[in-house]
Amino acid sequence: MGVLRIMSDGIRKVLSIQSHVVSGYVGNKSATFPLQLLGFEVDGINSVQFSNHTGYGYWKGQVLNESQFGDLMNGLRSNGLDNYSHLLTGYIGSESFLLRVVDVVRHLRKVNRNLVYVCDPVLGDNGHMYVPKEMLPLYRDRIISLSNILTPNQFEAELLTGEKINNLDDAVRAMKLLHAKGCDIVVLSSSDFGSEDHLLALASSHINGKRKSVVIKIPRFKQHFTGTGDLFTALFLAWMSRTQNDLKTSMEKTIATMQTVLKKTVDYSEGLEIENSSSRKFELRLIQSKVDIENPNVVIKAEVLQT
Amino acid sequence: MGVFLLMSNEMHKVLSIQSHVVSGYVGNKSATFPLQVLGFEVDAINSVQFSNHTGYGYWKGQVLNDSQLGDLMDGLKSNGLDKYSHLLTGYIGSESFLLRVVEVVRHLRTVNEKLVYVCDPVLGDNGQMYVPKEMLPIYRDRIIPLANILTPNQYEAELLTGEKINNLDDAVRAMTLLHAKGCDIVVLSSSDLGSENHLLALASSLIDGKRKCVTIKIPRFKQNFTGTGDLFTALFLAWMSHTQDDLKASLEKTIATMQAVLKRTIEHGKSLGNEESTPGNFELRLIQSKEEIEKPKVVIKAEVLNI
Ligand SMILES: Nc1ncnc2c1ncn2[C@@H]1O[C@H](COP(=O)(O)OP(=O)(O)OP(=O)(O)O)[C@@H](O)[C@H]1O
Ligand SMILES: Nc1ncnc2c1ncn2[C@@H]1O[C@H](COP(=O)(O)OP(=O)(O)OP(=O)(O)O)[C@@H](O)[C@H]1O
Repeated sequence: MGVLRIMSDGIRKVLSIQSHVVSGYVGNKSATFPLQLLGFEVDGINSVQFSNHTGYGYWKGQVLNESQFGDLMNGLRSNGLDNYSHLLTGYIGSESFLLRVVDVVRHLRKVNRNLVYVCDPVLGDNGHMYVPKEMLPLYRDRIISLSNILTPNQFEAELLTGEKINNLDDAVRAMKLLHAKGCDIVVLSSSDFGSEDHLLALASSHINGKRKSVVIKIPRFKQHFTGTGDLFTALFLAWMSRTQNDLKTSMEKTIATMQTVLKKTVDYSEGLEIENSSSRKFELRLIQSKVDIENPNVVIKAEVLQT
Repeated sequence: MGVFLLMSNEMHKVLSIQSHVVSGYVGNKSATFPLQVLGFEVDAINSVQFSNHTGYGYWKGQVLNDSQLGDLMDGLKSNGLDKYSHLLTGYIGSESFLLRVVEVVRHLRTVNEKLVYVCDPVLGDNGQMYVPKEMLPIYRDRIIPLANILTPNQYEAELLTGEKINNLDDAVRAMTLLHAKGCDIVVLSSSDLGSENHLLALASSLIDGKRKCVTIKIPRFKQNFTGTGDLFTALFLAWMSHTQDDLKASLEKTIATMQAVLKRTIEHGKSLGNEESTPGNFELRLIQSKEEIEKPKVVIKAEVLNI
């Protein structure tokens, strides 16, 4: 009840610039419904419209270029529709589009100086970059300093800081470096120095000179999923806002929902007569997880790190 | 076999071909969230991506052409992602796009012969057409025979049947004519046959030779809204599916939600206290109405007509 009261006071309106897929759950398809369920209006700018995500190997669709992106912003601006509480960006495919995002952050902050910019700096995973390498310096030197919440994976944190991350200490140090670049909250949404059975996620905040770090052990599923990073970031945004930046609670609620969504996804896949290599088999069961999104049942607790 | 049967019974998956607006609630922005809350997966093909709806007078964005629609369908098809329980179409802006929709319906029916095609034949309102006039014969002669549920407004029903609707008898006759063209369920989502204080909506079904007609008196708000037709159609689709085609219950639940959403929208619009009502002040308060979408409280009952 308390939470609901708080929500009705301020605006809860996210401009979310991500991919759209007709079928399946990545990008805006993964982020929008959870945010809406948690009380946020979500204005989606679809940076692409594809039939399905690229992991399938075959897809068709359209790509939004930076001038079309500019047009949409122009339409919003001209009608006074550009007052947002949050900006959320995920996968961005080109340098020119990312440069336009820099302008957009600046503009939205002029309209609402309390704008929270949540940036998933999608560069690659497991040692591989999957965006043009010219985008790295842009993220590092121009985007990070504008963002309030940054959610890199381990590889992205390494690229952005230029430091290898082999253990918990390295991770904490990397997050510190990212704070130093101007970002209040950094979340390593997944890292591989957990164990065979666990992933480790870390979150760190540096607000008003006070540093806080938490870590959570995530039971690992054997399967490979797509869209989980986008879902994670959306959930984390929602819970940070609803808990007034309670890092530990936000992480716990986010992971609680992630685990049930993935459990449902795996359970459902077992009844499907599709080969395991097919992306179709492991599309997130997001719509079927409505209750778990609205009321995450926290069983895995996060630990506060002494740093 | 048993499992397969069960699964196909349980499939709630809609391909929804409608407009997307970044800000506000029309087209897919109006239809998707309610359908998802009511348990449907919604695969959206955005026929346009605009900053906002055209009622603002100024907008910017992109239009999907018929060959791009074909591309998206090709992507779905190639990955076996084209099995849907429902197809939903709303505003379509060109003849060539509508002709492509004809192919889409045919194709989806070859994949799932039980596909339910829900068509809002958007042509105009209050005596004005707002699509090219060449689209009328395509809707009338090619689309309607393929549709299972048709949701014209009064003016659209007049255009499609070529008969004026001045009273309840006329409306029933128009629906009879539309059944004769091959459509199982016809809903006149709004008509001015009520009174100054009421709109009248009517629904009619002709299934296995059995005719049924219901009507409902809708308290009229003095405000003009946008996106209400799209919301109405989405809700009606959901409730017809959940109630196994119970026309009366579906209409009642749909109207219960509509009234709650519009009431909240008006209250919010007034609270903004602006001198004049800009379209932005009366965007539907959809996200805030989650509970009334999930659990509509029926207070206005529909009446069964003896015909
Ligand atoms: N195999 C898995 N087992 C358990 N949890 C997983 C698994 N894969 C993803 N997750 C969940 O998804 C979250 C995000 O991790 P994921 O690896 O998908 O994205 P990321 O690579 O960290 O982020 P991004 O690629 O978007 O920058 C994790 O915190 C975890 O909760
Ligand atoms: N002023 C109003 N007062 C009360 N209800 C309204 C009002 N405007 C719209 N509605 C609700 O919206 C529903 C759809 O009516 P609306 O006139 O918006 O669409 P439509 O013109 O019938 O459909 P479309 O234009 O999509 O073919 C009505 O059944 C009613 O429930």
